[in-house]
Amino acid sequence: MKNVFAKSSSPLRKIFLVSLFAFGLMALQNNTSWLSPIYHVADNVVRPLYWITNIPARVQEWGEINVTSRTVIEQENVRLKQESLIHLGQLQRMSELAAENLRLRQLLNATELLMDSVLVTEVIGVSPSPQSHTVTVDRGSDDGVYVGQPILDAEGLMGQIISVYGGHSVALLITDSTHALPVQVLRNGVRSIAEGTSDYNRMTLRFVSPTSDIVEGDQLVSSGLGRRFPSGYPVGTVVSISQKPGDTFVDVEVDPSAQLDRSRHLLLVFTSKDGSIDRNGR
Amino acid sequence: MNPVSLTGPVALSLIIAVILQLVPVSGDWILWRPNFLMLMMIAWILYQPNRFGIGFAALVGLLADTLFRTALGHYVLVFALCGGIAYLLSRWLTYFSNFHRAVLIFMLVVFSELIQAFLFSIWDVTMGFQHVPILGFISAVVWLFVDKLVASLNFIYR
Repeated sequence: MKNVFAKSSSPLRKIFLVSLFAFGLMALQNNTSWLSPIYHVADNVVRPLYWITNIPARVQEWGEINVTSRTVIEQENVRLKQESLIHLGQLQRMSELAAENLRLRQLLNATELLMDSVLVTEVIGVSPSPQSHTVTVDRGSDDGVYVGQPILDAEGLMGQIISVYGGHSVALLITDSTHALPVQVLRNGVRSIAEGTSDYNRMTLRFVSPTSDIVEGDQLVSSGLGRRFPSGYPVGTVVSISQKPGDTFVDVEVDPSAQLDRSRHLLLVFTSKDGSIDRNGR
Repeated sequence: MNPVSLTGPVALSLIIAVILQLVPVSGDWILWRPNFLMLMMIAWILYQPNRFGIGFAALVGLLADTLFRTALGHYVLVFALCGGIAYLLSRWLTYFSNFHRAVLIFMLVVFSELIQAFLFSIWDVTMGFQHVPILGFISAVVWLFVDKLVASLNFIYR
């Protein structure tokens, strides 16, 4: 290797010049989209490495499948069958309620509800930075994934797709500090905006008036405003409400419903107006 | 005399650092995971200050920016400043014991977190500091292994 990085000028001068260059890059990035293709190239280059980084998880999965005793598998099978039966029962009740809701909406001449279909996907990579909350999933444009598509886990809303490639996509999680989504309180329909805080276990509601009817323990669901996220998906639970002296608004902290730093299998939501399944296999 | 090329060992060590950085972890471990790229960058600067300096630190910072999806320039600045300090101290650090080097790493990690907090504050992002002492301690412990790895590579390819 050539001595390209050897000291040729004063180190302090070099540090100063590199710092100027770094601030210039940040300003350029903040004001233009010229540097965005660099991230696309980097995502494609890094993707094969996810295969290596996922080896511990795959070994664990293999162990769970092959090392677990027959008795434990049989017990789990029985438990899953029972859970499936309970869920099917609940689904029947939901179908009945959905049909009733549709009839009432037709009576009121209200807009029809959007029905959703989903595609199962697996997390193959997570952002290594504690401040940037993104995950890489193993579905891309080949599967019909699009930018802005909502993503869920078994517990609630996780985020939305921000970059799509052929065989994989990158999703921004709802706890990222650059993310905000419209929510409403399940109990009374009070609307607000939930923002990320760069903490996987916390979101905040901003600009909430002290007179708003929000209390600790309230469940928040997506409101559907903005038409980015479908309505009715669980977002989180209000865990604390406080007001600093002199502040106009109260600070509302929310514990996200989704297991943002743990879930491995997720659902990509495809919304269609008539509720038909818009892709084969979903 | 032409120096032996270090492209291979440096690339290998950086790939190892990237893989370790990408291994998925959950809970507080996300906050406590050391920045392997920074540790590897500092190690090469300490062992080969005549070949790797602030320019090298900035390039590794650029790699970190694309990997962490931070604004380009964010880690360029952080790595250039931390790498610059390591570069300026490299002559003295040769005579330091592993323990004293680990203490320096602890301080560099705290310094890097402070710079990052400043940069994030520009974009109106607040950053907690509760994790920094543990992160610094874990980084200092991991440093002992990184130091050994780079020392071995440096010995083989010297």
